[in-house]
Order: sequence, then C-alpha cells, then structure tokens
Amino acid sequence: MKIDLHMHSLVSDGTDSPAELLAKVREAGIGIFSLTDHDAIKGCMAIIGLLQEGDPAFIPGAEFSCRDELGKYHILGYGYNVRTGAMPGFIESSHNLRMQKLEARLDYMESELGISFPVQAREELFSLDNPGKPHIAKLMVRYGFAQSKEQAFYEILNHLPVLTSYIRPEQAIEAIIAGGGVPVLAHPSYGDGDQLLMGEEMEQRIRRLMGFGLRGLEAFYSGFTPQLRDEILGYADRYDLYVTAGSDYHGRNKMIVLGDTGLDETETRTERLESFLKDVMHEG
Amino acid sequence: MSEKEKIRLSGRIDSNNAPQLETDLLATLAGKNSTAIEFDAKDLEYISSAGLRVLLRIRKTYPDISIVNVSQEVYDIFDMTGFTEMMDVQRAYREVSIEGCEEIGRGANGRIYRIDQDNVVKVYKNPDALEDIKHEREVAKLALILGLPTAISYDVVKVGDSYGSVFELLNARSFSQILASEPEKMDWCVDEFVKLLRKVHDTEVPEGKLPDMKETAISWVQFLQDYLPNREWMKLMDLVQAVPKDNHMIHGDYHTKNVVLQGDEVLIIDMDTLAVGNPVFELASMFNAFIGFSEYDHVHVLHFMGFDYETSTEFWHRVLKAYLNTTCEAKVREVEDKARIIGYTRLIRRHIRRGGLETPEGKAEISFWKQKLISLIDNTDNLTFSLDEFETDASTERLADVQQFISEKLERADCPMKVCMQIEVAVEEIFVNIASYAYAPLSGKAKVRVELSDNPSSVSITFIDHGVPYNPLAKVDPDVHAEASDRPIGGLGIYMTKKMMDDVTYEYKDGENILTLKKNL
Repeated sequence: MKIDLHMHSLVSDGTDSPAELLAKVREAGIGIFSLTDHDAIKGCMAIIGLLQEGDPAFIPGAEFSCRDELGKYHILGYGYNVRTGAMPGFIESSHNLRMQKLEARLDYMESELGISFPVQAREELFSLDNPGKPHIAKLMVRYGFAQSKEQAFYEILNHLPVLTSYIRPEQAIEAIIAGGGVPVLAHPSYGDGDQLLMGEEMEQRIRRLMGFGLRGLEAFYSGFTPQLRDEILGYADRYDLYVTAGSDYHGRNKMIVLGDTGLDETETRTERLESFLKDVMHEG
Repeated sequence: MSEKEKIRLSGRIDSNNAPQLETDLLATLAGKNSTAIEFDAKDLEYISSAGLRVLLRIRKTYPDISIVNVSQEVYDIFDMTGFTEMMDVQRAYREVSIEGCEEIGRGANGRIYRIDQDNVVKVYKNPDALEDIKHEREVAKLALILGLPTAISYDVVKVGDSYGSVFELLNARSFSQILASEPEKMDWCVDEFVKLLRKVHDTEVPEGKLPDMKETAISWVQFLQDYLPNREWMKLMDLVQAVPKDNHMIHGDYHTKNVVLQGDEVLIIDMDTLAVGNPVFELASMFNAFIGFSEYDHVHVLHFMGFDYETSTEFWHRVLKAYLNTTCEAKVREVEDKARIIGYTRLIRRHIRRGGLETPEGKAEISFWKQKLISLIDNTDNLTFSLDEFETDASTERLADVQQFISEKLERADCPMKVCMQIEVAVEEIFVNIASYAYAPLSGKAKVRVELSDNPSSVSITFIDHGVPYNPLAKVDPDVHAEASDRPIGGLGIYMTKKMMDDVTYEYKDGENILTLKKNL
C-alpha cells in the first residue's frame, strides 16, 4: 500500500487546497496519508470534513520549525486530537509567534533600513496563513528594493537581527504528546534548510530529542539517498524508534511527486512503520 | 531527438537560492527533449542540503544526471551523502604541466611523462579522452586481477587541453632506457621481457571483457582493399579470418618502452590496447615496433626507442627465439614471416591514413612494405604457429631446417644417440618423399610436428602436406633377400623407416596427407 505522511497544502507553503490535495491523494492511489502544514491545523480540519466512505485513511498531522542553541529541527506531530487538548492551542500560539516575527522584521526594515511596503501589500502578507522570509523577499523585488529574491536574502533578510523568541523542540514535542499525538523528527539528515547531519552529530541529536519524548524518525523521505535512508533506519533500530515515510509534497512549489517517499514495494524494513501506523490510527 | 542538456552551477547553493534554482531549472528544461542533464560545477563553491534536495528532485524527472568538474570540497559532500552512488559525479581535474618533463613511454593513444620522482602522467592524444581513460583503468584493473604486474592510475588530470592519468611509478626505468645505456644487460632484458610476455599470453580472459584483436586486424585488412592486388587482398583476408578464436590476453603494444623495471619488479604499462587473440597479432605489433616501423628508414627506431637499429634487430631476434623456445633459425623465420604479414598490413594502413601517399618519400616507404607484404602473402598458407610444429617449403633444400628443428627437441628430451640417428634417417626419407612428389611439378608447404610423451616415453613425428593423396605404406615391402640387381628401384627407404620406427601410420583427412612416425625412447 502507498503511504505518504508528509505533505503541505496552501494553508502553509503548498499550492493545493486541502480539497485539491485530497483529490490528488485519491488519484495517486495512496492508502494512508497525513497533511502536515507548518504550524497549522486548518487544513486537517478541512480534510476531515471532506473525507468520504472508502477514502484513504487520514492521520492528522503538523510540522513545527523549531530551534534551540544547538540547531534547527523540523518536528512532525501525528494522530493528535484536532479539536480539544493541547494541540489546537499550541498551534495557534506557534502561528502567532510567526506573525510576531514577521511584524518585527517588517518594523526593523522600515525603521533601520528605510524599506517599507504599501499598506495593502503589508495586509496581504498578514492575511497569508504562513508568511515568512520568502514572501518578504518577493515584495522587495516587486517594489524595487532588490533585483532578485536571492539578492534580497543575501543583502538584507539574512542580516536582520535574530529574534530571540522561537519554538524550542522540547516545546513542540511536549505539546504533541500532551495533545495525544506522536512526535517524529522530520527528514533527520536535513535539519532545517542548509543543515546536513550525519554520523555522531545525528546520533547525539536523536538521543537529545528522545530525552524530550521523541518517538519516531522519518527514514523514508523523497530527498534521501539510499545511504541517508539506511543510516536513519539504523538509528531507529538502535534506539527502538518508530519509522515514518513522507514525500514533503508542496504542490507546484517544489518538484516533489506526491507519494514519493523512497519506500517501494520491495522494501522489507517496514516493521517500525507498521507499528507506528497501528499506534496513531488506533489512538488517533 | 533527445540530447544532453548542459547547465552551469555556480557560487553557493543553499536554502536562500535553492527554490529559485529549482524554478530556473524547470523553466530551462521545459519544452526541451533532453533526457540527460550534465551539470558543470566548475564554479560551484558550496552546496547545502537544500541544494542537494533540488538535485534529487530533478533526478526524479531526469534520471540521467551527471555532475562534472566538481571541486574536492563539494565532491566530499556528494560522496558523504551517497550522491556519488546515485549519479555520475566527476571531480574537477587537477592541472599538471609536462613542460620540461622526460618522455618515458609512447603508445598508440598517448605519451607518458615523468612528472616527479614518484609519478608519471600518461597524456592522451584524443582531447576527449575521458572514456579512453576509463577504459584503460578498467582493463588495467582486470589485468591486475588476472595476475599481471601493472600500474593503475590513481588520478585523472588536465594537461593543457588534453587529459592525463597519473600513475605512481617509483624510480622506474623502461627496458628501452636500460638497453640504450647498459647494452651488457641484453641477456637479462630478453629473459625478463619474454617471461612477462608469456605470462600475458598465458592469461585467460573471461568472455567479453576485452576486444578481440582478430576483429581489429580484419578492419585493417578491409582498409587495404583498394591498395592491394585483388588476389593477394582476398588471400590476406582469408588468412586473417582463418586465425582461430583465442581467449588469451595480448597486450597489443608490447615493446621495451612499455616494460619497466621498478625496484626489482618488472611491470607492464600502457594497457589501453589490451585485447584477446592469437599471439601472432602480438608478435606483429612487436615486429613493427622493433623492425617494421624503421625498416625503410633506420633512424626511426633511434628516435623512438633510444637505441639503434642493430640493437633493435638483435633484441627482437633473440626475443623471438626465446619466446619460441628454439634455436632453429628456420622456425624463427616461419613465425616472423607470419607476424610480418599482419605487421605490414597495419603499417601500410597507418601510413596511408596519415597522408603517406601524398609525399614521394611516403609513397616509397609504403611501396617498400607493400612489395614485402605481397610476396609474403603469396608464400603463406596460414598465420598460426605452434611451438611443437615447424612449417616450411616442401623442398629438399629445407631438409636441414627440418632436421635441426627435430633434433633440438630430441636433445631436450635426452634422446639416446642411436635413436636420434634412426629418426634422422626416417625423417629424411619421409620429407624428401614429400618434397619430391607431393606437389610436383608445383611447390607447396609441409608441416612437421614433434610430440613427446611419457609413460612409456616416446616421440611422435607427424608430417602433414596438402599435396596429392599418397600412402607410402601401401607399397609392398621389397624382397630384401633378392639379389640387389633384381630389386626394383625405390621402396627400400620406406621399408627401412618401418623397420627402425616402432609404429608408422598414414591417413588422408580433410585434404591432408598425415604420416606419423612413432619411436619409443
């Protein structure tokens, strides 16, 4: 059975609406799927409302960009309670934090660098579910503050003072567990953006996050080479962790094919994925 | 038509510009029929995991991705993350200058220079030589696995506009250098040169691993179609076609610049011409290197080998004798003539292709070889040889050569003097018979094979000719008790032969008279 537990809708930075995404999941013949928008639950609510008899099994999900003194992490939460408990509140505060950061950035740019945008453009930005640096870069190009998005990043955005408020990995993990879900480390080899972790560095990270309650690793991932995948599967065995499979599909924003997780029918190392599914689908 | 799309990557690729890169790549590739992409990473300084992920995604749509000119730093990232196993990632090539470096070897595809005390570089003639380099590396590895002492390149470099492969060759001296500076080492050189040659020729190669030299030789012959009289050309083609398939290795360019002494080890280098085939093809290229190439103008060999034509001739001759394990000059000539046929064929083709017919000297040189080739073709029935066989003209003048060839084998077998003399008498009877009657009034070839066996210790000598069917044993034995004046002339020789040998048999098979003498030792 095809499984894809990592994808984004336009509620975060994908390009498909939840309804479009569901249609594509059906078409791709995926049997079990999860929607994992950044800091957002809206998409999952929409999917739950759209599901019909005979549809693929759905697991509510979310992805949190976290950081602490030691690095950046993407933490996935699966099978949590979408209506009550800790998760809805945590997701709202994550979203608010993102909005605060955006505001702080824009204010700094305006006061210190003289870069300001028309009110309408600013409002547009805040109306997005998940606005971030790429969206500011786009505006900078549109209003002539940079010639390219790249230039916007290199010359301005990467040099803005780092905001001290961010989600720490233990906060995300604790909230997911409190909300009845299972916390999983997304694409472990690629921390966030440019990070590449392997070997001892990887292992230390896993052990530290396990201390906070991490329970699984996304070992099957569209962006992994067989070598990276095997390394993560090795850690799952060593530390008795669940394994998940996800594509990180973003619609037209990235060239990722829905359902492409690097997990094919010939794969025999699926025991830890199966026990994960049993866990989240019974409890979720 | 699908073709390879070439795309340059430059600067840093990280999470800031990776999405843009992805968008740009898709825009570039949209509407093109490319199925393969070659990324030129010459100016790529860094790639982060965000960039790696873009490449993996591109690969989903364009499975045939290669990345060339990758710096060591970036290569390490690809290597560590397993990309080098998923796609073709090629390092950028170090640049090496050969200015002022000593040329120590020369082959069909390139020249070898010593770049420092420990390393040599082979510079390829073909500017697009990466495939050649890969080929040579593979065949050298194969040779090493099959037990031949050789050097394997450890790095590919850029030399001007060409590519080179670098080998570690510590204080090595080529046999050419040794022969040029220490002529007293000729004996030692001959022994080692032949020992290694035998080792090459004794090496069996798994099917399909190396090209078949016979096919190459056929292509040389095909080239000569317009340059040889039709009768000779057809016979030449038949001769080459008739060479049996052989799965033993031949080096293809075995001469004294390609055999080197490193410490006390003798190595063979320049492996790109490795092939399988009958050893006659090897001897042909050796003949060319030592003789053929400079037969018209002797100065060539001095330029190429560093020693003079006389030394070259002597070395070649001694090598051939040692290789054939014989002192019989006629046997050496037989094999050399077969090698020369292929050798001249190749030389003529090579010279014509290099514009040899456009200058008077070139024409003279080609016509010199052509005449020799034609006369050799007319006088040869096959191109194979065996160490146990001697093939010569069926002519009484050749009897001494036949006797020499046989007696050498008998001496090595510690054959008693009396038996040697009996055999000599029998051989004379049979060979003179063949020389006189088999082809009369024309002429032809006869082959003599000597086989020794133990337990019980015995020797068989077989005579083969293609003449008229004739069984000398069918004659009624003469009445030896009759008065000499009453006996008919002839027939006594065969009678004596039968008496002195332990067994004499005759058969006519496939157009050949086959007569075998057997004597217990």
